[in-house]
Amino acid sequence: MAVEVVLPALGLTVEKGTILKWLKREGDIVTKGESLFEVETEKVTTEVESPASGILKKILIPEGIEVPILTVVAVITKQGESLPDKYDMMGIQKPQKKEEPVQIHIQEASFSMSSGPGEIKALPAARWLAKEEGVSLSLIKGSGPGRSILLKDVKSFLAKEAQRGPKILITPTARKLADKKGIPFTSIQGTGISGRVVKADVLEAEARFKLAETRPVPTSVKPSGLSKYKLGQIVPMSSIRKVIAKRMAQSKFTAPHVYFFNDVNMEKLLALREDVVTDLEEKEGIRISINDFFIKAVALSLKEYPILNSMVSGEEIRILPEINVGLAVAMENGLIVPAIPKADQLGLVEIARYRSDLVERAREARLTIEETERGTFTISSLAQFDITFFTAILNPPQSGILTVGKVEERPVVRGGQVMIQRMVRQGLSVDHRIIDGAVAAQFLQSLKKKLENPYSSFFSIC
Amino acid sequence: MKVAKELLLEMLKKMLEIRYFEEKVVDQYARGAVPGLAHLYIGEEAVAVGACMNLTDEDYITSTHRGHGHCIAKGGELKPMMAELFGKKTGYCKGKGGSMHIAAFDKGILGAMGIVGSGGPIAVGAALGIKKQNLDRVVICFFGDGASNEGATHEAMNFASLHKVPIIFVCENNLYGISVAQHRHQAIKDIAVRAAGYNMPGVIVDGMDVLAVYEEVKEAVKRAKSGKGPTLVECKTYRFRGHHEGDPNMGLRYRTKEEIADWRRRCPIETFKQKLIKQMVAKKKEIDEIEEDVKRRVEEAFVYAMESPFPDPEETLEDLFA
Amino acid sequence: MRQLTFREAVVEALDIAMQRDPKIFLLGEDIGYYGGLFQATQGLMQKYGEDRVMDSPISESAILGAGIGSAIVGVHPIVEIMNVDFMPVCMDQLVNQAAKMRYMFGGQMKIPLVIRTTCGAGRGGAAHHAQAIHAVFMHFPGIKIVVPATPYDVKGLLFTAIEDENPVLFIEDKMMYNVKGEVPEGYYTVPFGQAVIRQKGKDVTIVATLRMVHKALTVAEEMEKEGIAIEVVDPRTLCPLDKDTIINSFKKTGKLVIVDEGNRVGNFGSEIASIIAEEAVEYIQAPILKVTAPHVPVPYSPVLEKEFYIPNEERIKKAVYRVLEFS
Repeated sequence: MAVEVVLPALGLTVEKGTILKWLKREGDIVTKGESLFEVETEKVTTEVESPASGILKKILIPEGIEVPILTVVAVITKQGESLPDKYDMMGIQKPQKKEEPVQIHIQEASFSMSSGPGEIKALPAARWLAKEEGVSLSLIKGSGPGRSILLKDVKSFLAKEAQRGPKILITPTARKLADKKGIPFTSIQGTGISGRVVKADVLEAEARFKLAETRPVPTSVKPSGLSKYKLGQIVPMSSIRKVIAKRMAQSKFTAPHVYFFNDVNMEKLLALREDVVTDLEEKEGIRISINDFFIKAVALSLKEYPILNSMVSGEEIRILPEINVGLAVAMENGLIVPAIPKADQLGLVEIARYRSDLVERAREARLTIEETERGTFTISSLAQFDITFFTAILNPPQSGILTVGKVEERPVVRGGQVMIQRMVRQGLSVDHRIIDGAVAAQFLQSLKKKLENPYSSFFSIC
Repeated sequence: MKVAKELLLEMLKKMLEIRYFEEKVVDQYARGAVPGLAHLYIGEEAVAVGACMNLTDEDYITSTHRGHGHCIAKGGELKPMMAELFGKKTGYCKGKGGSMHIAAFDKGILGAMGIVGSGGPIAVGAALGIKKQNLDRVVICFFGDGASNEGATHEAMNFASLHKVPIIFVCENNLYGISVAQHRHQAIKDIAVRAAGYNMPGVIVDGMDVLAVYEEVKEAVKRAKSGKGPTLVECKTYRFRGHHEGDPNMGLRYRTKEEIADWRRRCPIETFKQKLIKQMVAKKKEIDEIEEDVKRRVEEAFVYAMESPFPDPEETLEDLFA
Repeated sequence: MRQLTFREAVVEALDIAMQRDPKIFLLGEDIGYYGGLFQATQGLMQKYGEDRVMDSPISESAILGAGIGSAIVGVHPIVEIMNVDFMPVCMDQLVNQAAKMRYMFGGQMKIPLVIRTTCGAGRGGAAHHAQAIHAVFMHFPGIKIVVPATPYDVKGLLFTAIEDENPVLFIEDKMMYNVKGEVPEGYYTVPFGQAVIRQKGKDVTIVATLRMVHKALTVAEEMEKEGIAIEVVDPRTLCPLDKDTIINSFKKTGKLVIVDEGNRVGNFGSEIASIIAEEAVEYIQAPILKVTAPHVPVPYSPVLEKEFYIPNEERIKKAVYRVLEFS
């Protein structure tokens, strides 16, 4: 039987060796124990003996080649025996792969902390509690040594939060009134001391709601708006109009508005919509509109820049816990803004359903007050009126509003070439008390990117 | 010859077992089947066999890193020994010890140790335990010329002699502590002279002559069992291969070809075979049969070891505490 | 209940054990005629004879080896290494042989060996006769380590050590030999791997070993007057270690101070801190502090030894105040 001659294991650390010299040639008779070849390793030159007696039938590894240990370097056969086929090639044969050492499971840490921002020092227990409660450590003041945030700091912050919200500071009168009228006051911006909600605020909220209630609008898409007034007419302000006037003035003159615009290339998005709209309509019974994409894109961008999903309350900025994107719906007597709740977590089809339902009921004056009060950010579109772009006034108490103009074909330059592309100009107004230019610009830029790269933006949501 | 024929043939068989076992390890180590290190006993067979022929399963030995010879001579079985070297579950130590830590408690083999010189105190402890229980047993502590310089060895000898425990210190002087020749690692030539320093007898014996070793250790066992205490038996011997497999060229870095050849001519197995034939104790045919049988059994042990499974990874955590 | 000193409890334990089990014998330096350097084997040789209470030559390796070998072949040795400072002399026998023989031989043999030793500074023992290096031995799997802090515990734990069929390193704090405490008569065992809460509290957890337990209790008593409630945990055995009691105590307070007489680096407290950081990280309210000896050998002069080297109540208090800054 053929006996393999291997490059032997030469101690604990030697991994490979080079055959310096074959002391016997192919065809020679060899005896067990006789030196067959010289091998050089990192450490030493040594002679290797023959493991058997017989004929050195084939040398597989010639002099001068470095091979790993355990490589078969030659074959010895008995007198008259022929060489087994598998050795019939000159070659560097890889030694049998040894089994990988089995990894034994070492007990792993039972809890892993995500690392907080560099400057914030907090004790592990404090971090853990804050994380569990979904509170950002940046909101908490540390009272420990080195201004480290202690467990008790997080606890007292949470206690304060529990007191304040969802209940806001509200005067007893206003509270009674709100309860009587069945108005939830959670997102009402208070105009009283320290942002307290006062009676007037409650009335205002009521008025906003009544706006939708009292004048059902015909189901046609285009409200006729101003057509009812005549030249020279003096129109006393209705109470509702008074409320609107006051609110608009208040919003504009309390929150310094600053405006940003960019242009969005809608080709890809429109193509995507083309692609899916019919199938989805068949399958889901709802027709996706471009607005739905905007809603989702805005929601995702608000997640990235939560400061735009906030409200000013006294001397505090309250980053709102949910992203509820409102869609401005034009009514005969003004605007109403029902909001799609938690739009960041909804799929496109769900958004479409909400949008469709809310807009329909808005026009039929069948919205609930909660649906109109829960918005945290607003999208307003005047595309249907051929407006290319416009500025909007913030919908209090929100801190941001997006305007969308008309999608139209324009000549644009791309890669040095002039092309016709469908573009839209979008605008962002923000409350400059709490939102700086850079952040707003980034938000708008991020939004643009999402709309221009719809596949990667919306990939996970359908 | 004063010794019975069966005993002589048994000695031959044991030496052959050691030789063939070790040769197999040479081959398999080269092929990567034996992880870690292998320190082989080839050439020294007469010492282990001569000494252990005086013992029963109830006596104890402690061994060294070069322990395959001691273990086989003391009755260690080939299959679980080979399996242990291959790191298999069926090895004596369930794959947890390997070549340097072979032990077979049921055969009185208290273990091969990886720390040079560490066997002495433990062997003395075992002998103390025997004495306290008034058992009619002895302990043989095998150690080398290298270990004879370790502090622990001196402590052991002093303690053993002081308390006259039933122990025999068998020193295998193979003239080298790894690569350092004896004359370069100790000021004396005969380790046996140190015995006087502990007030115990020290004898020198030809370690290549299994009968000589046998006779000398026999005396020492008698002495130990009669309560007279330890003896130091120094066996002059030689290892034919390098210190470990991988020691290049049979230790030519520190030994000469001539020296190795000289000692090889005195191979304990060959000379014993000649002796048996010459003194008409056994015929060549008988001897050949014994050898063939040994070869076959070693081959069987090899196959057994190859086919045995590895231990499960979870076994890593077992057997720490009783 | 009657009161015995720590030392008397040891002697009584050995006496009762030797009576019950004729296979037990003692081996150590000066344990026979002299009765042990700290008198912890007083009277035993006179009672049981030289054969069972053996004075040893000064050969730590031989002592350990004698213990290991004889334990394997069927007797029950209790050997003594006079000071834990001498353990490095026979380190090989302890950590490479006794600790590993069962494992590396695949479970073939048992080594029912007890190794008694002493530790602790405070009498001018200086660098070689005053160390507290018990934590070092935790690193070697295969040795059980006992660190009793009261006379009651030392007797019960010694009985458990003798019953245990594994190598047990039994550490007696030499500075506690004269401490008195209630000790029941007769035979009783205290289990390994069971820590005891010496004092309950909700503000800070102190884990302390050996003599440091008493210092911690003193501090707890004093600080109670300031309205600070300290929980003192005594692990009693380092291996097996009662992690659960320590972790559960810590979860209550969120603040941990470990007091151990070992040197600073690789202190027993380091291991506890690591366990807490791994298994109870979300409960950590303050830095985990170790009150230890500084990282130098034991100095000789009493001013250096007593006022700086040995952890004292002042330093423990400071540590407690420090962690309380985070509450």
